[in-house]
Amino acid sequence: MFFHIVLERNMQLHPRHFGPNLRDKLVAKLMKDVEGTCSGRHGFVVAITGVDSIGKGLIRDGTGFVTFPVKYQCVVFRPFKGEILEAVVTMVNKMGFFAEAGPVQIFVSNHLIPDDMEFQSGDMPNYTTSDGSVKIQKDSEVRLKIIGTRVDATEIFCIGTIKDDFLGVINDPGASA
Amino acid sequence: MSVEPFNRLVKLAARAFYDDIAMKGDNQPKTGRSDNRGMAVVVLDALTRRQWVREEDLAKDLKLHSKQLRRTLRFFEEEKLITRDHRKETAKGAKVYSAAIAATSDGQPVGREGEEKIKLHTHSYCCLDYAQIYDVVRYRLHRMKKKLKDELDNRNTVQEYICPDCGRRYNALDALRLISPDDEFFHCEKCNSELVAESDKLAAEEMGDGDDNARRRRREKLKDMLQKMEVQLKPLMEQLSRVKDLSVPEFGGLQAWEARASAAARANGDSAANDLSKASQGQGYGGTPMPFLGETRVEVALSGVEVKEEDSKADAGANSMKVLPPWMIKQGMNLTKEQRGEVKQESKIDSGLSAPMSDDKKSKVNEKEDEKQIQDEYVKAYYAAILRRQQEQEEAAKRQQKELENKISALNDVIDTPNDRQVGIKSKRDVYEREDGVEWEEAPTAGNTSETYKLNDLNVEAEASGDDEDEIDWEEG
Ligand SMILES: [Zn+2]
Repeated sequence: MFFHIVLERNMQLHPRHFGPNLRDKLVAKLMKDVEGTCSGRHGFVVAITGVDSIGKGLIRDGTGFVTFPVKYQCVVFRPFKGEILEAVVTMVNKMGFFAEAGPVQIFVSNHLIPDDMEFQSGDMPNYTTSDGSVKIQKDSEVRLKIIGTRVDATEIFCIGTIKDDFLGVINDPGASA
Repeated sequence: MSVEPFNRLVKLAARAFYDDIAMKGDNQPKTGRSDNRGMAVVVLDALTRRQWVREEDLAKDLKLHSKQLRRTLRFFEEEKLITRDHRKETAKGAKVYSAAIAATSDGQPVGREGEEKIKLHTHSYCCLDYAQIYDVVRYRLHRMKKKLKDELDNRNTVQEYICPDCGRRYNALDALRLISPDDEFFHCEKCNSELVAESDKLAAEEMGDGDDNARRRRREKLKDMLQKMEVQLKPLMEQLSRVKDLSVPEFGGLQAWEARASAAARANGDSAANDLSKASQGQGYGGTPMPFLGETRVEVALSGVEVKEEDSKADAGANSMKVLPPWMIKQGMNLTKEQRGEVKQESKIDSGLSAPMSDDKKSKVNEKEDEKQIQDEYVKAYYAAILRRQQEQEEAAKRQQKELENKISALNDVIDTPNDRQVGIKSKRDVYEREDGVEWEEAPTAGNTSETYKLNDLNVEAEASGDDEDEIDWEEG
């Protein structure tokens, strides 16, 4: 799920950036530092949408670096158990398949793939129904439901299922290509 | 719209799901005495025999403490089985409800008007919500089945993997770390041997860290439960499918229900209802038909009211007869046109209806000038007149065939009469004259009021013809 939230961060800036463009430098560095990171608490930071305030800088002893407290708005993505996501399959193996929904990696184990889909090995491993009408392989798009998340301080990993109503392949790259 | 299949559904659902629900207060110690399991079923059953009911009355009927009942009802409200309505009301408001109840419960001693004399008390009412009950029960069954099946199918469970060499356990959340670049299997982080998926691993929160035996037992139990559910809830499911295509009984909100019920009561000539509203009884004729508890009975009572109102003027013969509404008689006429005997019988009823009606109408014109009533009476008189005219025509035709067989020209005239008489009174007089008056004129009334063709009541005749004229005037105007 996406959220638009306000976060705070202490930014350290090298003295060489002190000058007329100090604020721009600070924002640029903030984007570089924060966007794409993941925190267990807030999820993945997708994009910074604005800087609310930059506090007074504090010169650190010895180094000359200055610490600015920065308040910024950002869009974060945090997956939850029970959430339905659309994801792109990145890898298929005998144990199931991996998929990505933006920054989130999701693993769907083979017992959570419908029983009528069988694993086919080869240079393009896939799960296919007996009549061949539905196929899950690399780059397939699937709709899945998250049934578990592992949230570490800097990482979120999910496991999902496609064994429920209205879940499964939503497009077939082989068919459209 | 039959309530019975839905009531059966409610009763089955009550016994299936609410049989062992104990309704206990938060601070009440659980003793043998306070064990009131089964009360929910009793309350639901009682509700199937009622529509909207004041909760105090229900408590009295069930000999329950009103607090206890309210707790039960609140529970059912949360369960979406009933709708409740609360309102502040005076003794008068309570009376409206009592009248409504008297109208629908058909003599059940429910109304207790005397007791609500205090001003502005909040009263609660409740009523079964059949449409919602149907949905709720279906949804409940669906959830039950899904929960069991999901667990049986290992849905929503985290797959576990085990290392056959070192016995180390992993689960699907570790998958990212376990994939190897070489093949399509997961490998142990420690010894790099191939992991095997552990089968039949149920959801961790359900299982705790149970061993294989516990897992198998759990599985057996689930299967058993699913099977038992299918068997034990079969009557309920059958009832669900039975009511699937039936229209759901709908009582509407408390206000709407009361309005309807009292309208019906008014039409019934119910004295309690008449007290309530000074609205004219005449409007009762065109009033809303009661949408429940037997429409037919209400319709019959409607015309009964008319007779009662006017019985001082109506003759005894009409009163003793079972009077049917005008539109009904018309239908009967069409059906039995060929059968002379029945036509006669019905024409009797007809005169009973129309004679007092026209009389009544005149008096009302003179006295009240009540427009609406007059219109109603006109409609009735109109129907009656149409019927009589049809009968007259038939009688005439029959008569002529018997008596004036050789007078073909006269017969032709009579056959023409329907068209002529639609236009006005003049042509009617024409017919009378041609048919040599007296005998012919007597024929319809004689046929109406007695077995013989002799005229027995001049007054009736006069009224009948007068009625005819009025009707035609009205039609033209
Ligand atoms: Zn190992």
